[in-house]
Amino acid sequence: MGAFSDTRGYVVELGQAWNRFWFSPTDPATLCFIRVLAGAMLFYTHLVWSLDLQAFLGQEGWLPVSFIRDIQGHQWSVWSLFFKIEQPWMLWSVHIFALLVFFCLMLGLFSRTTAVLAFLLAVSYAHRVSPGAFFGLDKINCMFALYLMLGPCGACYSLDRIRRLRRGDTSPAAPSTSANVAIRLIQLHLCIIYLFSALAKMQGENWQAGSAVWWAVANYEYQSLDATWLAGWPVLVALATHLTIFWELFYCCLIWNRFLRPIMLWMAVATHVGIAMFMGMITFGLAMLFANFSFLQPATVRRWVDPLASRIAIKLTGSP
Amino acid sequence: MAKKRPENQDPVDSPPAKPKKLAKRAASAVPWHPAWRWLVSILVVLHLTAVFVAPWDLSTDPALPPSYMAQNDSQGNPLPVPPRESSVWQQPVVPRSLRGFFHHYLNLAYLNHGYQFFAPDPAGSNLIRYQVWDSGGAELASGEFPNIDQQWPRLFYHRHMMLAAQTGEMGEQSGRLYAKHLIRRHEGKTGRVEWILHKLLSPQQVLDETPFDAPSTYLVLAEINETSAVALNSSSEELPIAIPGGGQ
Repeated sequence: MGAFSDTRGYVVELGQAWNRFWFSPTDPATLCFIRVLAGAMLFYTHLVWSLDLQAFLGQEGWLPVSFIRDIQGHQWSVWSLFFKIEQPWMLWSVHIFALLVFFCLMLGLFSRTTAVLAFLLAVSYAHRVSPGAFFGLDKINCMFALYLMLGPCGACYSLDRIRRLRRGDTSPAAPSTSANVAIRLIQLHLCIIYLFSALAKMQGENWQAGSAVWWAVANYEYQSLDATWLAGWPVLVALATHLTIFWELFYCCLIWNRFLRPIMLWMAVATHVGIAMFMGMITFGLAMLFANFSFLQPATVRRWVDPLASRIAIKLTGSP
Repeated sequence: MAKKRPENQDPVDSPPAKPKKLAKRAASAVPWHPAWRWLVSILVVLHLTAVFVAPWDLSTDPALPPSYMAQNDSQGNPLPVPPRESSVWQQPVVPRSLRGFFHHYLNLAYLNHGYQFFAPDPAGSNLIRYQVWDSGGAELASGEFPNIDQQWPRLFYHRHMMLAAQTGEMGEQSGRLYAKHLIRRHEGKTGRVEWILHKLLSPQQVLDETPFDAPSTYLVLAEINETSAVALNSSSEELPIAIPGGGQ
């Protein structure tokens, strides 16, 4: 009887904890902040395709659509608008439309609609260049677009908010359960990314030996700021290598502890800023940092962003 | 998607039909209806399982049983290991099955990834070096990608780097397609593409002041000649290599 009631009590508590974790309404400030950053990244990422749009995304570019579809196995679920588009004018029309969507998402104009469109478009681009020219940035961009669709990503820091203010609706963005679900999904997805990134590295001899960071910075094509002075500091290289693996491996556990969370986040800053500065992967490094921002408390985001957002709102609406 | 109760509705302003239930739900700080919560919970679990099994499956390999002994041919020489699809190999059935179950969902949402960034080991870069000639043999264009001087901004350069790197996964045919594209772009007749591996320098080589772009660090993996219509020859076999920074 005691065991039964203990088990029942445990299950009830588990259910309550589950509900608190997923369904407690939260201030949407963090989600909205991520919308601004991810929207900017989506816009920039796709703007860069404009430099050689036909070659990367056209029917007969570097890798023709027919070849890509052969490699992808002609699966119906690997889909892209660009598989169907043949005329250059149509390609450019879709591209300009996509840039407008990403720009609107960044500004928070018709946010819920543009978030859905941004997801469909981002996946379309990614599937067209996978394989071909895709890399981690596309995976993270699509992840953002997927989860931004789920919550009120335009509740604040957005033109949608300005429009509401102009209509006289000055009530603050209300706590939202769907914002919490979206943020939780970004957080857990990020944990899975780091976990498997670490497990894959652990199979590498150079990661085990503690030399992998050297081989990464020694790559001439990746080099940005020169870090080859590390050649004379093998212990530093080894420490950075081992620390990277342990940080990635235990991120999924330690990030949930409120005392360790700041440490894990500062390590994320160090790692991804390092990748951005020394390996030139600025966009990817920033995108990973933006994903880490999902662990910021809304109050922290408000402390950082609200002063600027208020100034912009006053300028655009003419009233405080 | 099912209609749900407006999540920010103040219980005090709600219709008075079920005030006790609303008050109870407000007290528990979980505003959604239990049925809606159940549905979302199931979807969340399914989604996260899908997100998890994609890299899990991609990080697992089949294994030979510990007691496996290589067979010998009639002259006593060991036969090659059977292909990985063979029943001799033990397949990781759970991740394979789960990924199979979620396969189309993962594709639809672009979630079918291994997240193997710089794994299992950082590798050298791939380069594509090319030349294009007209029908008279005059050179119309030459160059290589990625090329930091020609491809700006950095993301554009990185796209070209990936284009060269993923040649390793797509095989020689991709190099042939690059050649065709370059011939078309420069309105040439023939073209040559060299697929090059730029090897990494060890710390000692750097301390010995070996330049990162020393000629000895470049290894030609394949050379592909192409005309505007017909392939002429290729000198190397496909050599699968890791995508630096690309991962699976």
